[in-house]
Amino acid sequence: MILVVAEVQRDGTLNRATWETVAAAQQLAGGEPIVAAVLSSARAGAVGAELASGGVSEVLVASHEQLAQYTPDGFCAALLQVVGETTPTFVLLPHTYQARDFVPMAAARFGAPLVTDVTGIEGTGTDAVFLRQMFQGKLVASVRHRGSGPRFVTVQLGAFRADAVTRGDGAAAVRTMAVDISPEAVRQRPEEPFREAKQAVDLGQAERIVAVGRGIKAQEHIALAERLAAAMAAEVAASRPICDSGWLPMDRQIGSSGQTVAPKLYIALGISGAIQHLVGMKGARTIVAVNKDADAPIFEVADYGIVGDLFEIVPALAAELEKG
Amino acid sequence: MQRETLDVDVLIVGGGPAGLSAALRLAQLQKQRGGEPLQVAVLEKAREAGAHSLSGAVIDPSALATLVPDWQAKGLSFAAPVERDRVYLMTAGSTWRLPVVPPPLRNHGCFIGSLNELVRWLSGQVEAEGVDVFSGFAGQEVLLEGTRVRGVRTGDRGVARDGSAKAAYEAGVDIHARVTIFCDGVRGNLTKQIVSRLGLDSDREPQQYAVGLKELWDVPPDRLAPGTVIHTLGYPLRQEEFGGGFIYAMPGGRLSLGLVAGLDYRDPLFDPHAAFNRFKRHPFVTSLLEGGTLVRYGAKALPEGGWNTIPVPYMDGGLIAGDAGGFLNSMRLKGIHLAMRTGMLAAESAFEAIRADDTSAAALARYARAIDEGPVRAELYPVRNVHQAFGHGLVAGLAFAGLSILTRGRWLEDLRAHPGHERMATLAWYYGLDVPPSRTGPSVPVDRTLTFDRLTNVHYAGTAHEEDQPSHLLVDTSVCATRCGPEYGHPCIRFCPAQVYEIVREPGQPVRLQINASNCVHCKTCDIMDPYQVITWVPPEGGGGPQYNGM
Repeated sequence: MILVVAEVQRDGTLNRATWETVAAAQQLAGGEPIVAAVLSSARAGAVGAELASGGVSEVLVASHEQLAQYTPDGFCAALLQVVGETTPTFVLLPHTYQARDFVPMAAARFGAPLVTDVTGIEGTGTDAVFLRQMFQGKLVASVRHRGSGPRFVTVQLGAFRADAVTRGDGAAAVRTMAVDISPEAVRQRPEEPFREAKQAVDLGQAERIVAVGRGIKAQEHIALAERLAAAMAAEVAASRPICDSGWLPMDRQIGSSGQTVAPKLYIALGISGAIQHLVGMKGARTIVAVNKDADAPIFEVADYGIVGDLFEIVPALAAELEKG
Repeated sequence: MQRETLDVDVLIVGGGPAGLSAALRLAQLQKQRGGEPLQVAVLEKAREAGAHSLSGAVIDPSALATLVPDWQAKGLSFAAPVERDRVYLMTAGSTWRLPVVPPPLRNHGCFIGSLNELVRWLSGQVEAEGVDVFSGFAGQEVLLEGTRVRGVRTGDRGVARDGSAKAAYEAGVDIHARVTIFCDGVRGNLTKQIVSRLGLDSDREPQQYAVGLKELWDVPPDRLAPGTVIHTLGYPLRQEEFGGGFIYAMPGGRLSLGLVAGLDYRDPLFDPHAAFNRFKRHPFVTSLLEGGTLVRYGAKALPEGGWNTIPVPYMDGGLIAGDAGGFLNSMRLKGIHLAMRTGMLAAESAFEAIRADDTSAAALARYARAIDEGPVRAELYPVRNVHQAFGHGLVAGLAFAGLSILTRGRWLEDLRAHPGHERMATLAWYYGLDVPPSRTGPSVPVDRTLTFDRLTNVHYAGTAHEEDQPSHLLVDTSVCATRCGPEYGHPCIRFCPAQVYEIVREPGQPVRLQINASNCVHCKTCDIMDPYQVITWVPPEGGGGPQYNGM
């Protein structure tokens, strides 16, 4: 018997990669029965019914209140009990972030081998050989499990086709299986899910950019550029040394190792104009440069240049714009 | 943590002229002799073969002709055969052409060409033979079992600047081999490890290095006839500094020019990049370059110490070939043919050892015998003292060079030398009370037409690294402000040709060393020349580095 562990997404729907894993299991099985297991109890009924419609002989839904939300310890404990009861030859999962998180632990508890990120299967049954990529796809390794099982396998996303699943005649039986998870055994406590609020800035879309370079001298002076930028609805960007020092995030770096931009207006403050920076901004329609050094190469590409102290000029500019 | 492992028969670290010649020779032996097919793998840190290969280059085709006799039919061509050699002695304002070209600098039968193109072609030949060339993978660590080389661990990928694993983290792979051939180039990081761990240089002279800075230029085609090879002595270097300039002319107005400076200079304020700019501002050189454009820039260290500095090149399960072992003829200014030759010899020894099922040091010692009995020693032994003689100044060096030609290297006692970084004098010692106040050395005008600042030059090296990774220059910065500044005036900011090192002075703060690791062009100068030996170069994430097309 081959066990396929389904993955349920945060919104309670079945992760499509589960069907790819069923397809892989069918190829591996060679007629052996396939059982699908659902560990998550969120909308388990609907997910179980969906799985029962497609090519498996039974659906097992693990049931425990600890399984309402994903925790590595909880899911690992549930998987151990499901595997313990069903004694499959193989346990297959999609190679998702979630599987990568808890399956190694489960395999280790069994002292069983885990073959990860499999892209192909040769042969069927316990002699099957699994293909996985090495050296970023330059080599393909053939791997076979040793020992008596269970044999854990995770399947690379997209390596098998979900629409290749052979569907059975009727719906398979859905069985609920009570599992026992002691709350103390779960060491993680899930918090509210969140998404990192800050989207990466796409400076390529900005119409106006105020960029700062080494001439800004200290991190606290970045606020000066931010004030000017706010006064003219511009994005703040920087040359490499600024981002290197961590004064601004790397996604605000302009130049050969950062973004290439072509805004309508580009104001370069204290940027000498190393060629590495120029290649990232010379497409700007109008370039204004403020720099103390009259020989700075930035003036070779600038349309308007101010030779002077940015700590005098920028506040004056900002004040004038703020009036408007 | 468990890593992927890969088992091969022969692992070659470094896909340069030595490594690829070894790989090709193994494939040839396999074909000629048959038997159980050997698994051979080549590791190369560059994204594509040849991207980190830089040389002058005047190429002696002797080893190539042995390896691939029909290389021309197989699609390899060089820019031009050498038609004429010229040697000039330069002072600040003038040049004198030597009436007779010294025999070692006669290059009849050689070719002006690009090492990058030669390596790319070799890589194609190797891959056509079915050998796996893993480009974009650097060897990070030698795997040792006792005194036996078991293989090499490749570098991790996807590590963030703070050392944490990024989403695409991939742990390095352990590649196990019956024989590992180290061809990781001058001051190779793995060869450095293994030589010191196994004491392979314990009774050898210290290696001597130089750094070469090179540019490709496109100039009006009537400036210098293609096939012209010019070498210069003297200015911008002083009597006490080893080195010289080169200008090689290729068809279509393409010039390769550069300056080689010994990494055993005494003046702590000496600046090879500034010296290269001075070379270009010399009226003779300016007259060749004027009106032309810079195409590419690069820099690379080279091993100059010669025969007496070559470490024991064999060990249990391992061999060393090419620049990694110091196989370079500093008198002829050539190493590519010796790299290829030693690569081939290493391959032959590895092949025989594997077939005899004995890859111990004793069995692999046949490599050293092949070197001793063949063209490698014949070329290197007679000139073994020449570089060391230049340690006594240009005149002494030239006299010794002449003497070694006359006597074929026979004399009573070999010359000794110190490691180059130990020769660097402190500011107080060198300048006494007259330390230049700026401590930046005499400056050279930079016009961004003929001469460039380092940062602009680096742009023309095409170097690129994943920015979000730990620095691949491991530096003990505790000496920078307290000792190195007062004693040597931060020589790293001068000897690095790529502005990796910068001293940042912020008001109220002690000076701080900033390491711009992603500017690095992998020349290894810092690892060699830093006077405290506190800089260790380790490979950055595979694929990063310069892009030396045509160099």
